[in-house]
Amino acid sequence: MGLDKTLNFDLLQKCLGCGACYDLCPSSLHIEGYDPRAVIGDILQGEHEKWLEHKSIWQCLECHHCLEICYQHYGFENAMTAMRMLATKKGLNPPQVKRGWEMFAKTGRLGEPAMPARKKLNLPEPAASGKEEFVKLYEIYKKSKEAASEDKGA
Amino acid sequence: MFWGCTIPARFPFLEKSVRTVMDALELPYRDVDGFTCCPEKSLVNNVDHGMWTLTAARNVALADELDVNVVSPCTGCVSNLATVSSDLKSNVAKREEVNGYLKEIGKEFKGKNKLQHLVPFLHDDVGILKIKNALKKNFRGMRFAIHYGCHMMRPSHALRNDDPLDPKKFDNLVNNALGAESMQYMTKLTCCGQGLDRVDQHDTAMDMARVKLRELKSLKADAMVLCCPSCFLQFDNNQFLMERNGEKYNVPVFYITDLIGLGMGYSVEDLGLTSHRVDITPFMEKWHHMECKRDHKEELHDELSSMGTFF
Repeated sequence: MGLDKTLNFDLLQKCLGCGACYDLCPSSLHIEGYDPRAVIGDILQGEHEKWLEHKSIWQCLECHHCLEICYQHYGFENAMTAMRMLATKKGLNPPQVKRGWEMFAKTGRLGEPAMPARKKLNLPEPAASGKEEFVKLYEIYKKSKEAASEDKGA
Repeated sequence: MFWGCTIPARFPFLEKSVRTVMDALELPYRDVDGFTCCPEKSLVNNVDHGMWTLTAARNVALADELDVNVVSPCTGCVSNLATVSSDLKSNVAKREEVNGYLKEIGKEFKGKNKLQHLVPFLHDDVGILKIKNALKKNFRGMRFAIHYGCHMMRPSHALRNDDPLDPKKFDNLVNNALGAESMQYMTKLTCCGQGLDRVDQHDTAMDMARVKLRELKSLKADAMVLCCPSCFLQFDNNQFLMERNGEKYNVPVFYITDLIGLGMGYSVEDLGLTSHRVDITPFMEKWHHMECKRDHKEELHDELSSMGTFF
């Protein structure tokens, strides 16, 4: 997949010469070796593959500080998100993300209400989960995506 | 009320605290049948952007159907719902595609009602004065470190509720409704870093928690006050893990409604505070010994107000 389809390379080129967000980005400030411009530089050179297995791309906390301070209103979170999506397509996402997704796809949520604790706290019954309708919607969506990719294939 | 996944699953005592305060302030709210995960960004959007969008749109459509505003005590939930909602409102083709799917389950995304986090809701819709007047004893003389929680106000184009780089509403609640001092500290707006715990980088998550805890320990903050279950996990549970290894910071962690509830006169048990991992006893002792005396500033304020001077 060409990343130039999902990312704006002109804007990213300006990121390389700017870096204003480094003073606000929590990961740039506090995680040793976290350097988004190194990743962006390689994306622009077409050499992004080497970062797909790197933990750096999962260290962007999506706090949106970079987006808010960016004079292009772009922010390098866009580059990191695109890289994570690409890594996930290749099955390189961390096991916890895989487990989280599986639970979400099956139940529509990431955890079941803690019933004994709720009872002890005298909390009301939780509202209906919406699981059934969610699963139905997911099936419809999956079928439609499969049909679209088959069309593309043919 | 959009509770999300984390609060009912891991921190039902936070739900208890929010409900207690909502009931005491006589704010009409309801639970909604059928809400699913918002959905969470890192675990869902990274895997399937389409399903991330569609799930959030379905949740908003449920609120549309009932014609209710949505308030959530979770910053992540509000941010995700608002991000998708704002995207769909500005991208007609995407909205039509999404509504094509939703039609098959009898739903339609309109996004016509307000989506708010609990803090801006308390600030804007309930009002400082109403909360202040509901307190039997305020927190005058206590120093609280607010942890804003990134997703309460960012991305600002979607949430539009406060300055994304210099927010004020949470500070106003702490200073003017609780009567405490909201401390200004260097890492105040820094992200908690809990996201790292969701992507198999626990050690780095702990390091990020230390950034803030170290500063607050050195500044002798009486407590950290926050407004998000994920940040709570990071600072209460992870601080507790450090304590077990002999690394002590002694920074008790409260959700905003815990403090409002205490001020109203609810007990530690009423508010579910006995489930907090980091010991809150020293905090409670200090507060119990604080005199309820009005200070000079407050007296001056009242005097000037009675003369018709507005602040």
